[in-house]
Amino acid sequence: MRPLTEEETRVMFEKIAKYIGENLQLLVDRPDGTYCFRLHNDRVYYMSEKILKLAANISGDKLVSLGTCFGKFTKTHKFRLHITALDYLAPYAKYKVWIKPGAEQSFLYGNHVLKSGLGRITENTSQYQGVVVYSMADIPLGFGVAAKSTQDCRKVDPMAIVIFHQADVGEYVRHEETLT
Amino acid sequence: MSKKRRGEFSDFHSPPKKKIKVQCGEGAAGPLAVRPRHSSVVDSPLLIQQQAAQNTPRDSISLCKSPCVPNSYHQKPKNVPFQTCGLETARNKNSMSDDDIDSEEELRAVIAREESLQRATQSSVKEPENDPFVVVRDDFKSDVHKLYLLPSLGIKNKVSCQVNNDNVIGNDCAYDSEDTDEIIAMKKNVGKVQSSTEFLNREKSVCEKASLKDRKGCEFSEDSVKIQKRKKKAELAVSSGVRFLNCKSPSGSSDSEDAASVSESAESEGDEEYNALMKNCLRVDLTLADLQQLGCSDAEAPRESTASDSQETTTSCQFVRASKGRKGPDNPRRGKRCIHPEDIVASLLEGEKNTCSKQKPKENKFQAFKGIGSLYGKESRKNSLKEGVASNNINKDQDSLKLEDPSSISMEKRPSYADGSSRELTPCQHTKKANSPNHTEPQNRQTTFESQDPKVVSASNSEKESRSTTSSLLPLTGKKSLSLGAKIHKIDFDKDGRHSNPKIEDGSEEERADSCSLTSEKPPKVSSGKDRPSSVFSKKAQDSRSDFPHPVSNPSEDRHAQDNQKRLAALDARQKAKEIQKKLVHNALANLDDHSEIRPTHIVFGSDNESETKETDVQEQSNPRQELGKESIYKASGKLFDSSNEEESDSEDDSNRFKIKPQFEGRAGQKLMDLQSRFGTDDRFRMDSRFLESDSEEEQEEVNEEKTAEEEVLAAEKKKALDVVQSVLHINLNNSTSKGSVTVKKFKDIIHYDPTRHDHATFERKRDDEPKESKSKRKKKRAECEKLPEVSKEMYYNIAADLKERLQTTKDSSEKKENIPWNADCDGDKTEIHDPTPLKNGIEEPAGFTFSFFDSDAKDVKEETYRVGTVKPGKIAWQENPRSQDTSSEEEDTTEVVDHRKPSPGEVSLPEKENNRFFFFCKDDERLHVGSGLFWKGAGSDTSRNCWEARTNNLRMDCRKKHKDAKRKVKPK
Repeated sequence: MRPLTEEETRVMFEKIAKYIGENLQLLVDRPDGTYCFRLHNDRVYYMSEKILKLAANISGDKLVSLGTCFGKFTKTHKFRLHITALDYLAPYAKYKVWIKPGAEQSFLYGNHVLKSGLGRITENTSQYQGVVVYSMADIPLGFGVAAKSTQDCRKVDPMAIVIFHQADVGEYVRHEETLT
Repeated sequence: MSKKRRGEFSDFHSPPKKKIKVQCGEGAAGPLAVRPRHSSVVDSPLLIQQQAAQNTPRDSISLCKSPCVPNSYHQKPKNVPFQTCGLETARNKNSMSDDDIDSEEELRAVIAREESLQRATQSSVKEPENDPFVVVRDDFKSDVHKLYLLPSLGIKNKVSCQVNNDNVIGNDCAYDSEDTDEIIAMKKNVGKVQSSTEFLNREKSVCEKASLKDRKGCEFSEDSVKIQKRKKKAELAVSSGVRFLNCKSPSGSSDSEDAASVSESAESEGDEEYNALMKNCLRVDLTLADLQQLGCSDAEAPRESTASDSQETTTSCQFVRASKGRKGPDNPRRGKRCIHPEDIVASLLEGEKNTCSKQKPKENKFQAFKGIGSLYGKESRKNSLKEGVASNNINKDQDSLKLEDPSSISMEKRPSYADGSSRELTPCQHTKKANSPNHTEPQNRQTTFESQDPKVVSASNSEKESRSTTSSLLPLTGKKSLSLGAKIHKIDFDKDGRHSNPKIEDGSEEERADSCSLTSEKPPKVSSGKDRPSSVFSKKAQDSRSDFPHPVSNPSEDRHAQDNQKRLAALDARQKAKEIQKKLVHNALANLDDHSEIRPTHIVFGSDNESETKETDVQEQSNPRQELGKESIYKASGKLFDSSNEEESDSEDDSNRFKIKPQFEGRAGQKLMDLQSRFGTDDRFRMDSRFLESDSEEEQEEVNEEKTAEEEVLAAEKKKALDVVQSVLHINLNNSTSKGSVTVKKFKDIIHYDPTRHDHATFERKRDDEPKESKSKRKKKRAECEKLPEVSKEMYYNIAADLKERLQTTKDSSEKKENIPWNADCDGDKTEIHDPTPLKNGIEEPAGFTFSFFDSDAKDVKEETYRVGTVKPGKIAWQENPRSQDTSSEEEDTTEVVDHRKPSPGEVSLPEKENNRFFFFCKDDERLHVGSGLFWKGAGSDTSRNCWEARTNNLRMDCRKKHKDAKRKVKPK
């Protein structure tokens, strides 16, 4: 367990900023206490100072997880967001997409969202903008990347993909063994 | 369109297929590879509704090889690209979980693929589909309730509606693609099937596939039609039912094992689907009364036809037999699943008998139904009786396959019964029926069909009676089943499943296992052993313990009867034993309650031994017998209490022993601990908290330093992170953050003054010192001000030389001059003039020297000079100021003043020329008049005074008016 290097921090923040924009600073500079990011087993964990101190009592090799896993660094040193970060990112999401109940399941099985499944979308969503996917009941379901801008979504074929799947809560089941 | 699409599909998907093969390791040929995947997905119901809806057609295609189903046709063209994409991505996701693939790279790949796809699709077809999605603002907050109104369920609804229509059609004309439709419906209704099986059973022939609500609606509208149709359909249904078999067996197998196996994994699906479907379905709220009416209406029809039914039953059996011939070819299908065709035939034969004969008993069973608890009770009883078998049955998975087919068989039969007799059947009965064949299969293979036929015929008489009872009960059963909701349904199913197991077991024990299957109680059986009618009557009499199977079983061979009796005896014994056990438990529980009652009193006495003994004495006298009993209780409880006390003390000791000792906490505590460890466990040298040295400040400082160091590290980290954020977002965060910190600081800085706190003394103003200082300062200032004339004394001194002569010469002038200022100055000035005299006496002592010159008229001169001297500087200063102030506004005056002054030195220089002159002024000096005129302007001019008076009057009036107005305004309020 160690703090992130500047480069790592940058990479991670760039990724997170795709989804929550400038709200990112709210994660870093929280009024309710000191929160920090730590790297452990190539995974980035977000935790309060308190938990960090508690976790310091456990040897690194025995430590499985601490705080909330935001994602992990791939071997190519890119950051991959995990679904576990949803709870922290969803409230700050700048661009949202609501998918119809019929497409919910499809998305939760790891599929992209088609236009036919698109219920609502935040205006001015640009292409390849990170979005948080919600059900029509406003339950955050996961992360996605807008395949089309909001305007393009209007024109596009109903079977065309509008949201690329990035992570969904179904991973809690599907990737149970890898999620921490 | 579809062809094109298909063409694209095949072209486009050929590469991914290879991947699939590699990944999945499926040996299927290229073009076929897609299908198995779909089917597997469907089987492991992990697919989405959409996909399910879309895939199922394909499955149907692959399975049935009927190329196009109308429903699926509409969707197919669209689905092709989507499905494939979805599957690929799903695969990718799985592979992605292997960590090494980057989300971005993968995204890029997907984007590229998507683009290529789009090019193709756009070129081929541009469907101006209005699939409306809403574009919302950033601050959008969705109204969840609107959700249900959204047209999001289009596909599903279409499908379901179509399915419903198809079903209706299919019932009439033996629609070919029913299988597929049912598969679709099954998938969708998995959740519903469980809850609605009763409905299902009622109407399986018509709408198996529709959702629950739809079904209800169908019921109402089509009930009459159905009743008619059923008769007609009886023949058709036999044939069509055969087709249904495969499809229905899963959905309709009320055992819920199918459903369970399917829905276990797809339960969530089911719920979602259910909700989704419910949104768009007609919602028919059925009250109990409605259901009762329904049931009555259903039941009444049978009553009318009971006479004919008794005859029809036999005919219906024949029907079934006849239909068997047709079913024969279908059996292999079932056989594929797991049961041999022979078994099925046997079971069919048996099942017919049993179902015919069992209709009544089962109904009776439902009469006996008394809530869920009774169900559980029965089940538990049965289970306890047949534990060994139950264990086998618990594994539904094992049985599920076996059970499916039989149930389907039973469903086939239902149509045959639908002619007349089956109308009476409640949904529950249907389920029972469905189960009954299952049970009988293994058991009654030996028994011949002919042997049972006579029974059935003979039973027809009894059937009439029992039917009348059952028919009357139908509404009730319907009520129960409906009112209790999905859970109860499930319970029912469980029941059935369990019942079935016991039955099978019984079968293994005895051929007539059926008889004991459901309620497994002896009295009815015993009675039934004598006469069937009597047994029927006994059924009526016994609400809860009526056994349907008995009438059937009794007419069987004597040997069976004997065996039955034996078995019943054994059951009786068991039940008795159980009752005894229950009694024991009851007693024990009762005792417990008693104890609980006694305890509080005992605790009261236990606290005070003397009073206790006294009381006991009193009680002894009153009623010694009770006392004896009480004593015993006391003893026992007393012991208990003591022991508990001891235990408590022990536990306290233990707890003390293992308590965290505060004296050993911290660093100082560690030292103490070391000391203690040196001494060992000797009680004499126990280190108490008295030995604890308070933590030295250094240690605390160290701790604090550590803390601060950590905090600093974290803060530094935070700063770094913020910097990175800044660089990433290209925003000046410092402003915002610093602002935030500033605001926070400001917030902290707001301190409410608390006079009780000593710290806040700093916030108090000390008033005492300042006024003193100011006074002293003022005095000083005054002194300084008064000293200023001293500075002018030199001038005066210089002038004094001239004054000698002047004063001597012109006394009158001075008096006159005095008069002018007298007019000019008010009395206050005079007093002022007089007041400073005593003060100035001391101060102007140096001026006294001047007086020394006037030896002759010392007193007069003193006074005069004194007056003049004092007044003059004061007056000059006083008069000059307004003039100097005026100078700003009127320069002419200043010039005049200057003019006046300019001559004054000249005058001073020429004092001797004009003797009339006093000081700088001559007698009747114009300047003095001008000055006084300036000063007394108002007094002199009447016009100005008049104006002023008028103005003041006006102002006064205005003021009063305003005041009054204000008062008026205030008053009404």
